Amino acid sequence: MKRHHITAIVLLVVVAAISVYTGGIFLSLREPDVIKPGEGVTEVRKLSDYFAPLKGTRGDTDVYVLKGEQEGGKVLVLGGTHANEPSGYLTAVVLVEQAKVTAGELIVIPRANNSAFTHNDSQEGAPLYVHFTNAAGEERQFRYGSRASNVIDQWPDPDVYEHASSGQQLSGSETRNLNRGYPGRADGNLTEQMCYAITEMIKKEDIGLTFDLHEASPEYPVINATVAHERSMDIAAMGSFDLDMMGIAMSLEPSPVNLRGLTHRELGDFTDTYPLLMETANASQGRLRGATNEKLALDGKDKYYVSAEALGMLYVPYDENGHSIEERVGRHLQGVLSYTTAYNDLYGEVVTIENVPTYDVMLAAKLGDYLN
Amino acid sequence: MSIEVIIFIAMVGTFMVSTFGFKLPVSVAMLLSSVIGALIGGQGIPVRHLVEGTFSYVDTILTIATAMVFMKVVEKSGALDALSSLIIEKFHKVPALLLILIMLVIMFPGMITGSSTASVLSAGSIMAPILLLMGIPKVSAGAIIAMGGLLGMIAPPTNIPAMIIGGGIDMPYVGFTLPLTILTFPLAFLFVLMLGYKYVRKLDYAKLEPQLDKELRKTYGVRIYLPIIVLLALMVIDSLVPAFPNIGTPVMFLIAAFVGLFTGKKFNLFTTSKEAVKDVLPVMGILMGVGMFIQIMTLTGVRGLIVNTSLSLPGVWLYVAMALSIPAFGAISSFGASSVLGVPFTLALISGNQIIVVAALSLLASVGDMVPPTALAGIFAAQVVDEPKYASILKKSFVPIVILIVYSMAFIIFSKEIGAFLGV
Repeated sequence: MKRHHITAIVLLVVVAAISVYTGGIFLSLREPDVIKPGEGVTEVRKLSDYFAPLKGTRGDTDVYVLKGEQEGGKVLVLGGTHANEPSGYLTAVVLVEQAKVTAGELIVIPRANNSAFTHNDSQEGAPLYVHFTNAAGEERQFRYGSRASNVIDQWPDPDVYEHASSGQQLSGSETRNLNRGYPGRADGNLTEQMCYAITEMIKKEDIGLTFDLHEASPEYPVINATVAHERSMDIAAMGSFDLDMMGIAMSLEPSPVNLRGLTHRELGDFTDTYPLLMETANASQGRLRGATNEKLALDGKDKYYVSAEALGMLYVPYDENGHSIEERVGRHLQGVLSYTTAYNDLYGEVVTIENVPTYDVMLAAKLGDYLN
Repeated sequence: MSIEVIIFIAMVGTFMVSTFGFKLPVSVAMLLSSVIGALIGGQGIPVRHLVEGTFSYVDTILTIATAMVFMKVVEKSGALDALSSLIIEKFHKVPALLLILIMLVIMFPGMITGSSTASVLSAGSIMAPILLLMGIPKVSAGAIIAMGGLLGMIAPPTNIPAMIIGGGIDMPYVGFTLPLTILTFPLAFLFVLMLGYKYVRKLDYAKLEPQLDKELRKTYGVRIYLPIIVLLALMVIDSLVPAFPNIGTPVMFLIAAFVGLFTGKKFNLFTTSKEAVKDVLPVMGILMGVGMFIQIMTLTGVRGLIVNTSLSLPGVWLYVAMALSIPAFGAISSFGASSVLGVPFTLALISGNQIIVVAALSLLASVGDMVPPTALAGIFAAQVVDEPKYASILKKSFVPIVILIVYSMAFIIFSKEIGAFLGV
């Protein structure tokens, strides 16, 4: 056998070994996280209950229903629209594991884009998981995923993504972004079908108030903010006033009419729900960040963001304390409570959510304390 | 000295020693520098990250491989020779106009797909023989094709760097057509005349005519052009007809190449495909290496170091940093530069006219496709004109690139005024 043949065989064996090893890691990401529903959860449905073609796909996801004994309105919380924004996802998990509803109905989808949790964004160096210790001392593990659906589930991207109902053009990869696909299409790609299913659910369940929980990089102008459709503005104004009284700075942004496909625009235009989108500051998805790891995702401490703040490049205060996951989840939880109260007061469709840690409580605690 | 600076120096140093000292292939050098960076950054040998980093280029690699197969097919079937003879025969009396037409043809696939590689390897490869037959030296012809590829990927309607930057700041891709037209077409006409006109000014058709293969046109008729027509049709339909299924650029190249099996001279498909893939294998390797390199830079904080250093420069130095760092980062990936640097620079210039700023930054980002080690436009332009050293193409393109950077920066600095003048 010639020498270069031996070299080729050795290289092929090495490549095969690496493929098997990493393939195992990538396949394991398809295992869904364990979410332990609390006693407030009265029913677990699937998103495919509202749009059957999703059944058996990785676009299908669990829908947790917390129904109170008294009749009332309905509130929906979407976590995990972007799986690389952990506070949105984990807020939804805390609601599922802790919340109790005495009046009305709370519906929570922690992994709105389930497919996005099954992979990571290439070249972002992101951690695979974030970990917490619960009150019983057990370790809980949750995925840190991607901003977009998995290419294994939806490929190839077009060169240009054209939003179906408006014709708006975005870069091709945005075709896998759940928050650019609303109101969705029954005969569209997987991401558009997920959007369609969520829109159908809102219509069928007659959901009055919808939250879409997000995070953004600290250099992004819309941060520590609530974006509201013009119909949701009264709720947003009253709720943010409440948050302000608690010392929680929350800017109020109107949903741009020319930016299409997002929850705060399309769900307001195509359904009767009042949509609100909230953003917290996540350094681990920013472009100015230093080393990328689980610690950064959880404590937000980053020397480059501290220096960027000094240069006036950020839209959120930033110091050596960072922005912890407790602070970010606390903001989202308090936002859900305050805006829901505003909705109750304004429209009389009462939804009463209890047993949820407030912002102050979260700041003084560990997130794991509120996981089962 | 911060740990990020140490890692960066170690990664660049390992790359230099591997390529220049040990003469290792660029792809292997990038793998080694990524491993060294990860080790110094306390990550061990993060196999998952190394593999994950390469995923960004799967689509690009498929496009490159299939485009090269298409290029070989149109060459071997005789379509290239037939088209060259036809165009020169019809337009030899107006060489300046011919050059401008050739430039527009080179730009067209990039305008449709947003990829300079698609431009260079499809229309560029088709126009290369014409440029050479007209008497333009290989290096100048390569530079024309490469610059055509760059400007084609930025020209409207499809500009992916602008879409990427817009996506990062929630800005729809609306209102870009006029600014992008003014940014690209004047430069395209200037560059093709600058690089080619002196050679074609006194085109001697009598001397040229014997070199033209007119027999092919007589033997096969219009069908010899079918692979080219099919490719253009697929690109246009895909872009203009939303109901047309999204088959992806690689499949378009494969369909067009398949058509070429039946439209002209016969050739062996297997050996032709093998030859094509062999030609582009080093580039595909570089892309994989680059993917690992970026992933490790991000993981260890080196990417943050570069972005922060570029953004933290005061006043006029911010513009200098922009003009240099975006093309330089584009050495790794022009799309990557758009996302990693284009977005924060746009935010830093938020008081300017955002559409003009993003359009000009996208033009700046395109230069990355001419910066080694990836230099996709330069490398493939050298291949299509059969120039062994792509560095000579880069050298020839230096002045056009400087003009392009200055032109982009003028748009960025005067974005408000230009925006008001254009009404955007």
